[in-house]
Amino acid sequence: MHHLVIDRWSRGSSPLHARDPRAKLAVLLVFLVAVSTTPPRAQIAFVAYAALLIVGVRLARLPLGGLAGRAALVLPFSATFALITLWSGDALRALALAEKSFLSGMAALLLVSSTPLTAWTAALESWRAPRMLILVIQFVYRYLFVIAEQAQRMRWAALCRRGNQKGYFDFSAAAGLLGVLFARSWQRADGIYHAMLSRGFHGRFVPSPPAPFRTTDAIFCSSCFAGCLAIRLLL
Amino acid sequence: MHIPDGFLTPPVWGTLDAISAAAVPWVARRAQRDTQDQRIPLLGVMGAFVFAAQMVNFPVGPGTSGHLVGGTLLAVVLGPAPAALVMTAILVLQALIFQDGGVLALGANVFNMALLGVAAGYLPCRLWGRKPLTIFAGGAFSVMTSACFALSQLRISGVPMAGSVLWASLGLFLISALMEGAITVAAVRAIERLNPTWVAGGPQSSSSRTLPALAMATLALVVIGTLIASAAPDGIQRLTGQGGTTTGWNLRLIDGIGGLILIFALCFLGGKLIFRRRSA
Repeated sequence: MHHLVIDRWSRGSSPLHARDPRAKLAVLLVFLVAVSTTPPRAQIAFVAYAALLIVGVRLARLPLGGLAGRAALVLPFSATFALITLWSGDALRALALAEKSFLSGMAALLLVSSTPLTAWTAALESWRAPRMLILVIQFVYRYLFVIAEQAQRMRWAALCRRGNQKGYFDFSAAAGLLGVLFARSWQRADGIYHAMLSRGFHGRFVPSPPAPFRTTDAIFCSSCFAGCLAIRLLL
Repeated sequence: MHIPDGFLTPPVWGTLDAISAAAVPWVARRAQRDTQDQRIPLLGVMGAFVFAAQMVNFPVGPGTSGHLVGGTLLAVVLGPAPAALVMTAILVLQALIFQDGGVLALGANVFNMALLGVAAGYLPCRLWGRKPLTIFAGGAFSVMTSACFALSQLRISGVPMAGSVLWASLGLFLISALMEGAITVAAVRAIERLNPTWVAGGPQSSSSRTLPALAMATLALVVIGTLIASAAPDGIQRLTGQGGTTTGWNLRLIDGIGGLILIFALCFLGGKLIFRRRSA
């Protein structure tokens, strides 16, 4: 299993990467609210939102095609509902449904591709998200690929042992696989805890002090807010 | 069942975001109280485990396979509050990184899957002890609850769904609910065989049953209500249909907020009662 490309992208350097994560998170929320409240008949506005996103992607020096491809993952779901809407005779609304979900997904991707996970979780924590939740998010993300790769290896091993019989991978075998995966995860958590203890962990993480919110961040924030508002209200 | 952005109207996602933003810190405090330091990495690794477990396909009949959703398994292993917290963490990561569910719709998804889904999965075990049957019921009930709430939020937001579409999706949900039940039972049994102490920390049947029963009945009523409401044409919709073709923004807003407040009040009452009994 390949590691997330997003993780690599988020460690790049560009004017957008350099902005304060709090500023980017705030801009994301304002953008999403603007998109969400845009009525379906304002089709020009959606084009303008897309243009705004493209400027953002260029500013972050990220591949537009790669981002759009990832954001397109939402399309099967929204396309289904869009087709149902189309079928009930509301073409404009159907189009808006697909556009809104795609643009929103793209905006969220732009945030996580230009901000490392530790930075945006720190921003969430500075907005008083529960520390416990932040810790769990960080742990899940850190061990996601370790455990997923383990699951993949176990699946391959099971497939190899099964020989070339064409039957289904039977239910109890799959359950056994889950059980063993659970056991290994549990042991891994134990190991992680002991490793943390031996490094002097005593019940809480010491967060690094947040970087100051600079003038450029404020300018970035206000210009993006202005852009979103202008599109929402004028178009 | 992950609702993307663009589907819910502002009043609906706004209300649900507010509810989740209020409920998650409370869940986090409870989880922190129930958890020793040692289990903090455990919560994270269990979240990663659920992610990975969703990759393991379970064959069910010719050509179809399902996978674990995980809320009930987590509730059985970790207890309700830590399970809800881990599910919330998973949903946040899915929304931002994996394009599974929207960011503004995160509140709705957390409400449906992490809060109510885990509660619904946990309640049968809490009421009747941890037996294969209750775990099965929990898994199925959990998926059904999340699905019915998601579906009704989409309806309230005015996503048009013809009767046939609605029935087809409810049928699919029912199948995946039964599958979740079966997979959860099989997984818990496999884990128990390896080390029984791992699942011993979960819910035990207790003496006070009235309040969990009330919460369970509340959730069941909402699920059944959704089924009935989707079977019969919506009363409000029929009224607006007679009044003219314009379904006004105001009407939809009142409709949405009213329905949500009602649902929320029921669930809040149910949830409060269970947890008060637990801490007493």
